[in-house]
Amino acid sequence: MDKVMNRRSVLSGPYVVWALGFTVIPLIVIIKYAISDRTGAFTLSNILAIFDPVNLKALIFSLEIAIGCTVVCILLAYPLVLAISRLKFARSGFMLVILILPMWMNFILKLLAWQMILSSNGILNMIIRAAGITGFDISNTPISIMIGVIYEYFPYMVLPVFDAVIAIDADVIEAARDLGAKKGTVFWKIIFPLSLPGLMSGITMVFVPSMTSFVTADILGGGKLQLVGNIIEQEFIQSMNWNLGAGLSVALMIFILISMTFTVKKDEREEEEAW
Amino acid sequence: MGDTILELKNISKSFDGKKILDDLCLNIEKNEFVTLLGPSGCGKSTLLRIIGGFVKPDHGQVYFEGGDITSLPPERRQVHTVFQKYSLFPHMNVADNVAFGLKLKKKSRDYIAEKVRYAMRLVNMEGYEERMTTSLSGGQQQRIAIARAIVNEPKMLLLDEPLGALDLKLRHEMQRELMRIKQEVGITFVYVTHDQEEALTMSDRIVVMNQGIIQQMGTSKSIYDEPQNAFVADFIGDSNIINGIMIRDRLVMIHGVEVECVDEGFDPNEAVDVVIRPEDLVIGKKDSGFTNGIVTNLIYKGAYYDISVAAGDYEWSVQSNVPAAVNSEVGLFIDPENIQIMKKPRSSDEEVIDKLG
Repeated sequence: MDKVMNRRSVLSGPYVVWALGFTVIPLIVIIKYAISDRTGAFTLSNILAIFDPVNLKALIFSLEIAIGCTVVCILLAYPLVLAISRLKFARSGFMLVILILPMWMNFILKLLAWQMILSSNGILNMIIRAAGITGFDISNTPISIMIGVIYEYFPYMVLPVFDAVIAIDADVIEAARDLGAKKGTVFWKIIFPLSLPGLMSGITMVFVPSMTSFVTADILGGGKLQLVGNIIEQEFIQSMNWNLGAGLSVALMIFILISMTFTVKKDEREEEEAW
Repeated sequence: MGDTILELKNISKSFDGKKILDDLCLNIEKNEFVTLLGPSGCGKSTLLRIIGGFVKPDHGQVYFEGGDITSLPPERRQVHTVFQKYSLFPHMNVADNVAFGLKLKKKSRDYIAEKVRYAMRLVNMEGYEERMTTSLSGGQQQRIAIARAIVNEPKMLLLDEPLGALDLKLRHEMQRELMRIKQEVGITFVYVTHDQEEALTMSDRIVVMNQGIIQQMGTSKSIYDEPQNAFVADFIGDSNIINGIMIRDRLVMIHGVEVECVDEGFDPNEAVDVVIRPEDLVIGKKDSGFTNGIVTNLIYKGAYYDISVAAGDYEWSVQSNVPAAVNSEVGLFIDPENIQIMKKPRSSDEEVIDKLG
């Protein structure tokens, strides 16, 4: 038995190397920078710098963008998932491939394309003007950042929700209808609650990266709108203040971990209630 | 006919060009326990789904208490279904599952609590209210599924092979339970199964189906004792089905031997199917019965012996309380009353059935 176990654990070797080299060690380095000043002495000021008005403003703006993007992704994902899940297998597979296709393209390339579409003389502004709305320029607005973020992360919301919905037994849905549930009731009482685990992983996969997608903010926000990620980037690259950059990163990580425990807690509580 | 609760009129349904139900008519009486019986693919489940509202027939109408409900969605019908896979809501506890329909109807809390208590007692599941459905055994889950349907006081309960996933002992127990529940709530049961024993045990009336058409309808006894064609004879219980020629009324030729029977109304020398139940054959001394044969196989089945007797190129199946030595030559007896003569199939549908048999 032990020998088998040992041989199996050898298989996890590459992953251990990967996790140590690219996650654990960098994390330790970041934390070490975060809790020391330029002379190397211990300090918490780098982490607490998140409460400086400029940084706090960026954090709140990031939060707004992330929540907005997550909500829009959820609202777009459910109708799409419900429609696809009713298709025959071959067709739903085709629809999912269409959805995933942009994920195979380079991230920066897509953003540059969006930059052109969303620019002052871009297609979208032309359409808006043609519709008779004047005095509104979509370029370099929070909305254009959101469009970029949503476009990038939408599949990460759809796929787990789709998996959860497709796993619901068709008989369970028929049973609900049989007992008098109209289609809307079936959704709210059966499909939605049963898709919650998928929704939770969807939220995790959209919310967290949305908060930190500083490249998107750079390219589609015209460099004027700053997410907390942009500030961290500037500390590292421009100000060369690695301690402050690391401190803000750690503060952001703590913040994300706290918000994630909320979703996990909610999950656990529901399971307890369920039992 | 004032007591008819459900009327199916000329129902036809095809899936992907394959005819599942063909111009089927069926009336179901109030408080009847009707079983739709047939092999898989015979259309019985589709028929049940048409009654439940999950499938719309291509042709024909469904009348419920005189009103046309053919196009009515399932949520607006006064029938409820118990599914084979139980289909309980996995995210709700037992009580919430049972209360689901009543909550949708916005009944008062007290009313719901009272009804749920009654339904839980009816299916012998008191004390399980707070449990999660996933922690229950198959039999318990099916009881909850029955409670969940019955609590809404439907006028008709549809049961789609509800005991199919249970083991034999539990199935027998649940059969008795179902009959007791049926008696207590006094509503119409429409039951789908491929298990002939289950059908014979529970039903007031059995509807034997194959190839999308009704082969025979009647009480358990009439279906078993007087099958109308070879398919029914073969599907319900074991049968010896032999080619015969009707010499004249009350005399049939089997394997070159003239045997007395009680059937009349065939043409002279008409080719017929002769059905003899294994338990009706009696083994006796050589040369004293209507035919001789060699015992080729003897299997002890607990309540009886299953004996194979080879006579010419036919092997008779006999069920007997006394064993017979393998390789011994014996005679076979049959009471004329127990010989069932059936016309040969004429329509192509029936021919297909015959081949399947």
